[in-house]
Amino acid sequence: MLSRLQAISVKVTDPFVSLSLVQASRSLQTSSQRLAPVPPLPDHGGKVRHGLIPEELFEFLYPKTGVTGPYMLGTGLIVYLLSKELYVINHETIYAICIGTIIVYGVKKYGATVAAFIDSINEEKVAKAQAAKDSHISFLTEAIENEKKEQWRVEGRGMLFDAKRNNVAMLLETNYRERQHMVTNEVKRRLDYQIALQHLNRRLQQEHMINWVEKNVISSITPQQEKESIAKCIADLKVLAKTTQAKAAA
Amino acid sequence: MTLSLFDQFLSPVVCWIPLVAIAITLPWILFPSPTTRWLNNRSLTSQNWFLSQATSQIFSPINPPGHKWALLLSSLLIFLATMNTAGLLPYTFTPTSQLSINMGLAGALWMGVVILGMRTQPTHSLGHLLPEGAPALLTPILVIIETISLFIRPIALGVRLTANLTAGHLLIQLTSTATLAMLTIMPVTAIFTGILLFLLTLLEAAVALIQAYVFVLLLSLYLQENV
Repeated sequence: MLSRLQAISVKVTDPFVSLSLVQASRSLQTSSQRLAPVPPLPDHGGKVRHGLIPEELFEFLYPKTGVTGPYMLGTGLIVYLLSKELYVINHETIYAICIGTIIVYGVKKYGATVAAFIDSINEEKVAKAQAAKDSHISFLTEAIENEKKEQWRVEGRGMLFDAKRNNVAMLLETNYRERQHMVTNEVKRRLDYQIALQHLNRRLQQEHMINWVEKNVISSITPQQEKESIAKCIADLKVLAKTTQAKAAA
Repeated sequence: MTLSLFDQFLSPVVCWIPLVAIAITLPWILFPSPTTRWLNNRSLTSQNWFLSQATSQIFSPINPPGHKWALLLSSLLIFLATMNTAGLLPYTFTPTSQLSINMGLAGALWMGVVILGMRTQPTHSLGHLLPEGAPALLTPILVIIETISLFIRPIALGVRLTANLTAGHLLIQLTSTATLAMLTIMPVTAIFTGILLFLLTLLEAAVALIQAYVFVLLLSLYLQENV
C-alpha cells in the first residue's frame, strides 16, 4: 500500500501536472494567498432586520413586491405551516414563546451594556499600547532635549576654562605679590635692626664720652679754682644788680 | 407530530440518520480558534475574556503541576456550558442530559486524577482518606467512609449533572403541557402557570451554567487534592 501511495505522490508531484492543477483551481481558491498584512475587520456586522433576517432578503424582494413583500412571505409561510399542521402546536410552542421572550428581553436590555463592555476590553488593549508608545516617545523627546542641552553646555565650556584660567592666574599673581611683600618686610626689618644697632652704638659712645669729659672736668676743678669762680660770680651778680637797679630807677 | 414528554431525551435522528455527533460537536463550531489578529471582533473578544477569567478563577488555588490540566478543564467547561444552554432552546437535544455522556466524562476524568495522585504522590493521596483533626478512635470507620466517598465521586459527578438537566427539562415540559392544556379551559390558571414556566426557564438558564461550573470546579478540587 505504501508503494501505491508513493506512485500516486510521484504522479501528482510531476511539475507540469501540479502546476496546471493549481492554475485550474485558482478561481476556487478563496482565502488570501499572503499571511500579512491581515485584511481589516469591517466596523459593523451585516445589517439584519428584527435581529434575525438579513437586510439582503428585503432588498432582493423589494423590486418585485415592495416593502411589504418579505412580511407577506413570512406570514404566509407561518400560516401555511400551521394550517397544514406541518408545524404542530404542542407544549414546546409554549416553551418556545417563553424562552423567546426571555432571550429577546435579555438582548434588548443588556445588549448595549455587554457590547460596550466588550468594546472597552479592546479599547483598554489599544490604550495600553498607545500609552506605552506615548511614554516611549516622550522619553525619547526628553532625551533629545537633554542632548541638545549637553551640546549647549559643551559650547560654554571654553568660557568656563577661560574663567578658570583667569582665576588661577590671579591666584598666582596674588601669591607672588604676597611673597614679594613679605620679602620687602623682612629686608626692611633687618636693615632697621642694623640702623638701631648703629644708633645704639653712637649713643653709647656719646654717653660714655660725656661721662668721661664730665668726670675729668669735675676731677680737674681744684678747690681754689672753685673759690675764685664763686667770688667772681658774686662780683658779677653785684654789678648786674646795680645795673638793674639803675635801669629800674631810670 | 405529538411529542411525548420523553421525546426530547431520545437520541436525535432524521430519516434514520443519527444527529448525535452533530449535537455533541456543536460547541466546537460556536467557538472559533484564535485568529492572527491583535484586536478581534466582539464575539471572539468576549469568548476569550470569559475563558481567561474562568481559567484563572479555577486554577488559582491549584499548584503549578496541576496547571497542565488547564486546557482540558477549561474546554470541558465551555463544552458543558454550551451544551446545557443550547439545550434550553426548544426542540433541541441536550447531550448532557444523557447519563452515558456524563458518566463517561465524570468517570474518566475522576479516574485520571486519582491515578495521577496515586502514581506521583501515593502517601499524600492515601492521606486524604483520613481527614486532619479527627479523633484517633474513629480512624477505622473514617477510613472506610472516606473510601466509599472517594468511589462515589464519579457517580455523584455524572448523576448530578444528568439529574439536574433531566429534571429541569422535564419540569419545563410538564409546565408547558399544563399551560397549553389549560389555555382553552381555564385561561387565568394558564396565565399563572405561564408565569411559573417563565420563572422556571430563568432557573433552568442559571442551572445550566451553574451545573457546568460545578462539574469543572469539583474536578479541579479533586485535582488539587491529588497533584
